Amino acid sequence: MPRAAIASSFDPTNDERSLIAKVVIGDRVAARALYETHAARVHRIAYRICGDAELAADLTQDVFVLVFRELPKFRGESAFATWLHRIAVTVSLNAMRKVKRLRERETDLDEARHHEHESGDIDPDLRERLAAAIDALPDGLRVALVMHTIEGYTHAEVGSALGIAEGTSKARVFEARARLREALGDFLEER
Amino acid sequence: MDEKRLDELLDDAARTYHVPPEPPLDAIWSRVEAEAFAPVTARRSGPGWRVLTAAIAASLVLGVAMGRYSTRAERAAAIAAVNASTVTPAANPAAQAAAAPYQRATEEFLGSTALLLAALPRDGSGGQMPTLLPDQAAELLTTTRLLLDSPVSANPRMKALLQDLELVLAQVARLQPRRENVTLTLISQTLEERELVPRIRSAVADLSTFDY
Repeated sequence: MPRAAIASSFDPTNDERSLIAKVVIGDRVAARALYETHAARVHRIAYRICGDAELAADLTQDVFVLVFRELPKFRGESAFATWLHRIAVTVSLNAMRKVKRLRERETDLDEARHHEHESGDIDPDLRERLAAAIDALPDGLRVALVMHTIEGYTHAEVGSALGIAEGTSKARVFEARARLREALGDFLEER
Repeated sequence: MDEKRLDELLDDAARTYHVPPEPPLDAIWSRVEAEAFAPVTARRSGPGWRVLTAAIAASLVLGVAMGRYSTRAERAAAIAAVNASTVTPAANPAAQAAAAPYQRATEEFLGSTALLLAALPRDGSGGQMPTLLPDQAAELLTTTRLLLDSPVSANPRMKALLQDLELVLAQVARLQPRRENVTLTLISQTLEERELVPRIRSAVADLSTFDY
């Protein structure tokens, strides 16, 4: 996703503040508008974390139900999108902890094969190994890597979403890359 | 593996790792709407209607008691002074003259209260409640409590009417958007059971004959 698009989602307008105020007093039309503005991104990050379409849909639902219920407590001290993404990441990680087995689903491999034509210069086996290595990372490293390196969030945004310092986000991505290099090193040497 | 090769792999991962499918946003919204905006009574398996009603009634009784106590504390001196001059009003022309302001105040109060009750959306009508009604009800509630502590309540019928209106006005003053339906049902029941509107009309008609 282009950086500009991400930046805009972190910069709520007066219209969004107005929508939030309306949702707080029970306006469903405003709630739908707020949902449509952010749902695709929430679903996207949920799917990147869990890798399962049905679970990502459930997580997106859980996130927005929680957001609409907690919205009266939202004071606007951070951007709405930041608050929303933090909830999305927290809900997704909590769900993943309950369904660890999803990390080794066949769908990962099917999905990777489905996209082979998009980048034919990458060995399918290497891609498969990389996906497995990312899945095997601890949650803290994996989410930071996925949000920053794959989804294009800035470290500041990752920090806000995960409740960590910007520098910690950088350190986690650095550590994740080191572990990936280590995990894939043997594989590349065999080729 | 060098950094450049890892960057290439991660660039590829952005297109291949857990690539989200097209999200079923409409279907998800339907579930979100059903869960997040369901009526409180349907969504929760908490206390039933009777318990809810009892809780509201208990809180109203407490609120009325606190309101009366605070009103008395603030107005005790003024009321005492007026009462002192109206101990035996019927036998005292001067006391009747002193009571005249109460009569006018009571007429105005009953008129305003009748208008407010008429403006309330009836239960189940789906009408929009004017946003100022709770504030107006709160002001009238204060007047009710003053009148209850005044010579006006020496008349048993007027006192009973004021006490009933105190309860209804307290309910209206506490109306909240999300609980409109529940509270409006209670208010409608009270209005009907206590025949409040006909009694207000009757009281206004009788006011001129009251002796304080």
